[in-house]
Amino acid sequence: MRPLFITWEYPPYKAGGIAAHCEDLATTMASQGHEPVVITYGDERTSEVRDGVQIHRVPSTDSAANTISWAMHLGHEMEKKAIELHKQNNFDLVHAHDWMAVPGATGIKKTLDLPMVFTVHSTQKGRDGISSEYQKTIHDLEWYGTYEAEEVITVGREFSEEVKHTYEVPENKINYIPNGVDLERFDSHSQDLQRDQYALDWENIVLFVGRMYPQKGPGHLIEAMPHILDQHQEAKFVMCGSGATEHYKSIAKSQVGDKVHFPGYVSDNELMSLMKEATMTVAPSVYEPFGIVPLEAAASETMTVGSYTGGMKDTIVHEYTGLHTYPADSGSITDQVSRGLEDPGWADWMGDNARDRVEDNFRWEQISAWTTGIYSQALE
Amino acid sequence: MNIVLISKQFSDGEAISEYIKTIAEYLVDQGHEVCVVSFDDGSYYSIDDRVDVLRAPLDFDGDNLYNWSMMMNNELKEQVMQNIGEDVDLIHANDWTTVPGGVALSKKLERPLVLTFHSTENERGFEGEHAEIISELEWQGVYESDQILTTKEDTKNSVLFDLDAPDDKVDVVDPFSHGWPERVLNKYRELVKQEKKVET
Repeated sequence: MRPLFITWEYPPYKAGGIAAHCEDLATTMASQGHEPVVITYGDERTSEVRDGVQIHRVPSTDSAANTISWAMHLGHEMEKKAIELHKQNNFDLVHAHDWMAVPGATGIKKTLDLPMVFTVHSTQKGRDGISSEYQKTIHDLEWYGTYEAEEVITVGREFSEEVKHTYEVPENKINYIPNGVDLERFDSHSQDLQRDQYALDWENIVLFVGRMYPQKGPGHLIEAMPHILDQHQEAKFVMCGSGATEHYKSIAKSQVGDKVHFPGYVSDNELMSLMKEATMTVAPSVYEPFGIVPLEAAASETMTVGSYTGGMKDTIVHEYTGLHTYPADSGSITDQVSRGLEDPGWADWMGDNARDRVEDNFRWEQISAWTTGIYSQALE
Repeated sequence: MNIVLISKQFSDGEAISEYIKTIAEYLVDQGHEVCVVSFDDGSYYSIDDRVDVLRAPLDFDGDNLYNWSMMMNNELKEQVMQNIGEDVDLIHANDWTTVPGGVALSKKLERPLVLTFHSTENERGFEGEHAEIISELEWQGVYESDQILTTKEDTKNSVLFDLDAPDDKVDVVDPFSHGWPERVLNKYRELVKQEKKVET
């Protein structure tokens, strides 16, 4: 099959999880004999083939007053590129990722008369609400995407219910396909962590990975830190991610001083090494449609303490691959992180189980096959 | 010839609609096939029965005219592709609000694009937070179209100086002048003839 991916971000450009998702999915599809083509944003027009995937970049505009208008303009540029490519070799369908791809993908669907598949990675309502007109317009574009798409894919089981109700999507066109994790990448990276830059020899790393915004809950973890340290002096909190880093850093430092470390930018390789080295990762998200962190930790044979919300209800099995906490509850985070630190053997055992579970359930090969199955439904 | 005229709006009494209506009725009198494609705002319109009219609703309000127009153009394209398809000789868009649709259809169908500017963003005062992106879209319309028409000399000057159009691409056809629809038809003929020359 020859799907056309429409995504505003594709590596090396990445802000959120969509870039990595698209790359892993497209690359796996290519390895399975399909011909995925990606049209995405770039500073300038470029075309390349990487890992069997054709990647075409088109620029947007510097004149947009807001991100919606920027996405609209980008959509028009993407459509022109799609028309040109379609003449050389027909696409079978267009696959849009999140609301920023909706203007372009629906234009392509309508001009080239292609079926459309729409993956919803998160919703505006869940991210930061729909109170302003700007937020409402994004919400409307998300609705429009689900309305125009022949098939809708959501990345979480519980999240698919949210999408269904929020946009009134008919039951028969909504599908749940989890995100995957590239185990090969985790197995082949070079472990060259300078551990002493993060923690002292006797300390156990408790790792947070994620954008520093309220949705990801770093504040709740910071609130729990002094209480965890009361019981476990050996804990060392390492907080990785972009966002409002300085804000959270100043709060955390005032609470626990040197027991927390904000390393700033960390390379992919360093991050994988950290995940492997950590005693546990903590994912204190308040809202999380899927949540890739527990799977990446699992690939590194590390357990996760994560909120019982959204995708983490599925990606963490309590007391088997990790521990659940109540969302937005620092007391619960204190208890569960302490339990993990209490019994290192148990924590290791959960990490091993987590790895076995991703090998069985969250491989891209499987996810790609499910996705092309959805494509076949869209083509019917 | 089969001509598609696209417009943000099609309703009696509205200036651009009346402009389109006069061209369309003249063209069917001359034996051509004409289809007017616009957003369906529910308003009344009247036109010669021989002119096909396609009006599309849009289930998206948008937070401003620019964002709304970009999505509305997707509906216009769908109307053309689903109802007319390849049977088009020329597409005639009107103002920036139909530039994205006109450009996409012209590229997909490989047919010439005529764009009429009834006014430009510079003439309208270049006000509001979307003025710049609207003007950029106007520039793209100039760049991508085969022929620019304006309804008055001032607009032509703005297209030349503000939107950097080449002089030989822009003509004024004043809709208050005698025999003006014939001049529009002659422009169509030149463009369609050029296309055929290329093919042979």
